[in-house]
Amino acid sequence: MCLTHNFWQLTISGLSDGFLYALIALGYTLVYGVLQLINFAHSEVFMAGGFGGLFAIQAVVGDKTPHGITSVMFVLLGVVVGAIVGGAVAFVLERVAYRPLRRRHAPKLAFLISAIGASLFLVNIAGKEFGRQAIPMPDLYTNGTVFSIFGADVQTNYVVVAIAAAVMLVFLDRLVAKTRLGQGIRAVAQDADTASLMGVNIDRVISQTFVIGGLLGGAAGFLFGLVFNVQNNMGFIPGVKAFTAAVLGGIGNIRGAVLGGLLLGVVENLGVSCVESAWRDVIAFGILVLVLLFRPTGLLGERLGRSA
Amino acid sequence: MEIKTMVRAAVPLALGAVVLAGCSSSSSGGTGNGGGKKTFAIAYQGPLSGDNAQLGINMDNAVKLAVKQANDKGDLPFTLKFVDADDQGTPDGGPPAAQKLIGESDVIAVIGPAFSGATKASEPLFSQAHLLSVSPSATNPNLTSLGFSTFFRVVPPDDAQGKEAANYLAKVVKAKKVYSVDDKSEYGVGLSGVLEPQLKTDGVTVIHDGIPPTKDYSAEAQKVKGANPDAVYYSGYYADFALFTKALKAAGYKGPLMGGDGDKDTQYVVQAGAANAEGTLFSCPCSDATVDPKAKDFAAAYKAEYNADPGTYSPESYDATNAVISVLKGLGANPTRQQVADAFKTVDFQGLTKEIKFAPNGEVAGTTIFIYQVKAGKIVVVGTTADLIK
Repeated sequence: MCLTHNFWQLTISGLSDGFLYALIALGYTLVYGVLQLINFAHSEVFMAGGFGGLFAIQAVVGDKTPHGITSVMFVLLGVVVGAIVGGAVAFVLERVAYRPLRRRHAPKLAFLISAIGASLFLVNIAGKEFGRQAIPMPDLYTNGTVFSIFGADVQTNYVVVAIAAAVMLVFLDRLVAKTRLGQGIRAVAQDADTASLMGVNIDRVISQTFVIGGLLGGAAGFLFGLVFNVQNNMGFIPGVKAFTAAVLGGIGNIRGAVLGGLLLGVVENLGVSCVESAWRDVIAFGILVLVLLFRPTGLLGERLGRSA
Repeated sequence: MEIKTMVRAAVPLALGAVVLAGCSSSSSGGTGNGGGKKTFAIAYQGPLSGDNAQLGINMDNAVKLAVKQANDKGDLPFTLKFVDADDQGTPDGGPPAAQKLIGESDVIAVIGPAFSGATKASEPLFSQAHLLSVSPSATNPNLTSLGFSTFFRVVPPDDAQGKEAANYLAKVVKAKKVYSVDDKSEYGVGLSGVLEPQLKTDGVTVIHDGIPPTKDYSAEAQKVKGANPDAVYYSGYYADFALFTKALKAAGYKGPLMGGDGDKDTQYVVQAGAANAEGTLFSCPCSDATVDPKAKDFAAAYKAEYNADPGTYSPESYDATNAVISVLKGLGANPTRQQVADAFKTVDFQGLTKEIKFAPNGEVAGTTIFIYQVKAGKIVVVGTTADLIK
């Protein structure tokens, strides 16, 4: 009863959330694929993208809300700047927080601590520099209902997020499946030692993987900021959710991350229609636990190398 | 195997890390010793970082200003300094912040804690240390019935605010169906817990939902829109109310929105966007220093010092501090914490916002509730509920 009421509306807003989770989840999954490392600082790459996009937009948008083609250009600009900042932060992160450890063959736990340290550092440096208040993104378009489907209103926000995310997801999928760079990533994911014997430059591939994850995460940060707002600690919750999505779909698996993200978004949104909103996360994570009980490697299984 | 263990350890670790990330504290020392007089500190405890820091900063500034003015006057038998402790407005941030202040031996009285949850968690420590704590803003009704011996507050509890807000919705907004949302915090639940029964008494249908703070309120907004209420009341804090407002407007909800004192901050308008915030109502036991003629000097001094207008609960904090200073003056050059706490029970001080004197349980006398509204992007006072509800 409660599910049918508002079903499509909640599914649509859930998909919009899910696309964002998917974009972030890819950052976790790609890095996990090549390094078997959960990059907990990835949520801050996301945050950095949000701030990058925010500042770019603040610099170019005046008091008036733009519309039409100008809106599209501004959104594109925000996505691109967010992605570049995210990619840059991810690149530096890999160089500073992970590569030195890898050189010294540090145990896995050291990487984890390094990740958490980097995450805390970035959250707080952003808080110090940009304040700890939430900062709204200037309006880039008038958010309203674009069209209705099954009686549900589809808002501009959803359309923007869905299109931007879908383009990037398809692009990434092709990149990993078809290009030389993608081959390198898959090779390292499958067996790093053998890959290096075959002439793959592991350091470079890892660095590139971080940057790709960072580009997606940064773009997601901008889109998130556009729909909600930008704040120094904005990455934590979406980061945890995206990590969950990655595990749900099968960590290390690109399509799994997308599936997991969309699924988590929809389940969360539908869940609150039945019970008090306080149960939102309980439902989402309850389902995660159930899935993992029956499929410990996630819905689509683990390996990046095999399935992509 | 190793990796799986790592992943399993990782989530709680990351959670712990974020808690740690929140821990930062700031304190600003006052002036040094003057002419052999002893130095005592008046402390402020409240959120100075975190999502709702602005409310805390409004108060921190006002307390600091009152201390500075008292020193500058030069008629004190001791020198006052100011310290503060950041509790982030959270229950778990309360005790460490309180402990920090208790540990500083020159702290003679505390203004704060600011938020109800943090107050509930901190007061047992203050009571134990016999350290006076005067909250300018913690409005949860239960706080004065928990046996805290050194707790006072200069604002009426949410009993008054919730009732008046409910009456306003029923009789002035003329809502037949109200969607009441709280943020599941000590404060939010307390406020909605008073609001909802009163609404029912007034013959209004109430739909309740509790939403712990989140960024994404779109599902909730759809729920609200689907229920088609005449008004929405949010019991929580401004950062969340701003996002909720945004989501409600995006979902196409057009009816009146109302929030409590925790929602009333200029940051609400900034974060929700002026167009979305326009028309939002607030109930608040707080007076507005920028329009109240009695508070003109204070507002000017505040502006000169901080280059910003006094905010929500700035005048109440200023009053609380001055009431404490008036008590300190009466105790001579060397008061003890216990003496201050005892003497404060009988204080009778004419402040900017009200006459500050207390019932034995620490509740301030008088319960004026104001209604505010966002008009042309600014939060302006509409009037007192006593005048508005006829």
